[in-house]
Amino acid sequence: MPGYLSLQLLQQSLLFLIGSTVLAFLLAPLLTALLYKYKIVRKAEHDYTLQGERKNKAGTPIMGGLLVIVVVSLITILFNWDRRFTYVPIGAMAISAVLGAADDLLNVFGGKRRLRNIKHTLILIKVHKKWYMKIWHIVCLPWTVFRQLASLLGSKQDRGVQAHEKLILQFLAGAVTAWWVYFKLGPSWHTLWIPFDGSIYVGPLIIPIIIFFVMFTANAVNISDGLDGLTGGALISTFLGLTLLSWVEGRTAFTPFNATAVGALIAYTYFNVKPARFQMGDAGSLGLGTLLAINAIAINKTLLLPMLGFIFYIEIISVITQIFFRRVLGRRFFKMSPLHHHFEIAGWNEEKIVMRFWIIHSFMVIVAVWIALR
Amino acid sequence: MLSPVAENLIEKYFNLPFPGVTGVRCPYYINRRGARTQLRVLVGKGLPDEIVEESKIISIQYELGLFDKNGRCDERGAELIRKFLVDQNIGIECSGFVSHILRAHYLETKKFDITKKLNICPSGKFIRKLICKLRPIENMNVSIFADNSNSSIINTEQSGYDQVQAGDYIIIMETGPLQKRNHIILIRGVENKIINYVHARAWSSEGKYGHGVTEGKIRIINNNKNLLEQEWIENEKINDQNETYLEAKQAKILELRRLKF
Repeated sequence: MPGYLSLQLLQQSLLFLIGSTVLAFLLAPLLTALLYKYKIVRKAEHDYTLQGERKNKAGTPIMGGLLVIVVVSLITILFNWDRRFTYVPIGAMAISAVLGAADDLLNVFGGKRRLRNIKHTLILIKVHKKWYMKIWHIVCLPWTVFRQLASLLGSKQDRGVQAHEKLILQFLAGAVTAWWVYFKLGPSWHTLWIPFDGSIYVGPLIIPIIIFFVMFTANAVNISDGLDGLTGGALISTFLGLTLLSWVEGRTAFTPFNATAVGALIAYTYFNVKPARFQMGDAGSLGLGTLLAINAIAINKTLLLPMLGFIFYIEIISVITQIFFRRVLGRRFFKMSPLHHHFEIAGWNEEKIVMRFWIIHSFMVIVAVWIALR
Repeated sequence: MLSPVAENLIEKYFNLPFPGVTGVRCPYYINRRGARTQLRVLVGKGLPDEIVEESKIISIQYELGLFDKNGRCDERGAELIRKFLVDQNIGIECSGFVSHILRAHYLETKKFDITKKLNICPSGKFIRKLICKLRPIENMNVSIFADNSNSSIINTEQSGYDQVQAGDYIIIMETGPLQKRNHIILIRGVENKIINYVHARAWSSEGKYGHGVTEGKIRIINNNKNLLEQEWIENEKINDQNETYLEAKQAKILELRRLKF
């Protein structure tokens, strides 16, 4: 074994993996019981996606992704706490997870929300009796425009956290990460690794790049969480790839950190395969999406994210393509988006889609690792 | 006759390509709510294949059982599928139907896309023009076909109906009880002093499920008189029993037109 590959680091990381798996398996029944007790379950009357064969998903607890978030946080804080390397990823993951949890809870317990649209605001500016309210609506107009534009990206506009609120909080998670990388990790992180071509110095440009990747990846994982087992299984491959890359680079904090995530995801996926005992929910998918982006950025493999998170990126690109075709050209590109629904409509069963996506995803992670090691 | 591709497209509207079932005539549907960013198939502007595809998606999504596991709908008759389409607000409206047929006809015979030649957006606003460029079929209505910049009137009172040919169309403007409705009828061919036409329409006498694309004919009985002086036959109903004729009769503007190019 070459000198830079530390057997001790590998053994330690495998111990973290085993430990987090065991802890997650122990906590899973407790979490399931809590979710049932407080009725944090998918409700058919609020969820337009629960149609046809998906009706039997109604009543399944959501927010199961908290299992991974809690286990990873707990183990990292207790055994792998590093002021330089692990506290910001945990913090950014927590911001995203809290945002996701708020969305999940509002979807279950919240009432309908109404947002004033641009047309309504313009009418108010024109006809409001009080002059100071006219000024107020003029001042608020850019905010209304932002909300309206953001709503085009969101699938539902009447319940939960609205698209514009999500964008702001995800931007915050991305900004925290960018601040950490740029100001705390130091100048060696101001470069962007380019596959097959070394790296280039990007300086402060790294900040928008990081914010973009964190927001994009978090949403990509969130969108992919539509079939039992899909996101959990795919994330296992991804974090295994990250563990391997961190180990090869001798990152003493990130190798066990990624291994912890793999362990927790093994237990999560065990309970999440069809028929799922619980679903990831936005709490898990946004949190883990953020963590995935940050951990790839932290080992300076940002540009490998589309391959390390291949299925997630394909899924979000399918949604973007579909929205473009639907809104702009008035036609469908896919039968339905995200991509897994396209295959459902085409007649594939859920298990077939999930397993094929796992296989393709794992293969792409292997390719990503190979590229990174060249 | 229209070009073979255009004729084939008409045939597809009369016999929507649902696998395993024949004789599903496309119903009439007009987007009265004015939805703008919807799929074109959901606003009455879809092609036959898009109509079938959308029906399949809706059927699977809401478990309505229109298609079996092999993607065929052999257990249901054509009328049940038509009922499904009407209930789901899927169909075609008159200008959408004519736009698709004429587009196919001109693409085959003159090798150009009419949506690129027609002045679809008379307003000078940039955003509006961009929308019309991106979604031409959705923005083509009877007024566009009746616009003098796009088409010219065929004067039959002077030179008779001999000059009428496939691809010409009849414009019916400001008709109906409130004189607010516009309609367009496409001429499919002319032979032996009979003008054969096709259109998408909804007669009140046909109830909720009877409407859709239909063919009819106008027998020329007086070559130098206007269209209302001729014999309109559709669904075996002649003139005053024929609602298409009644619409033409009530209209403020009734014209035979041809695209300028």
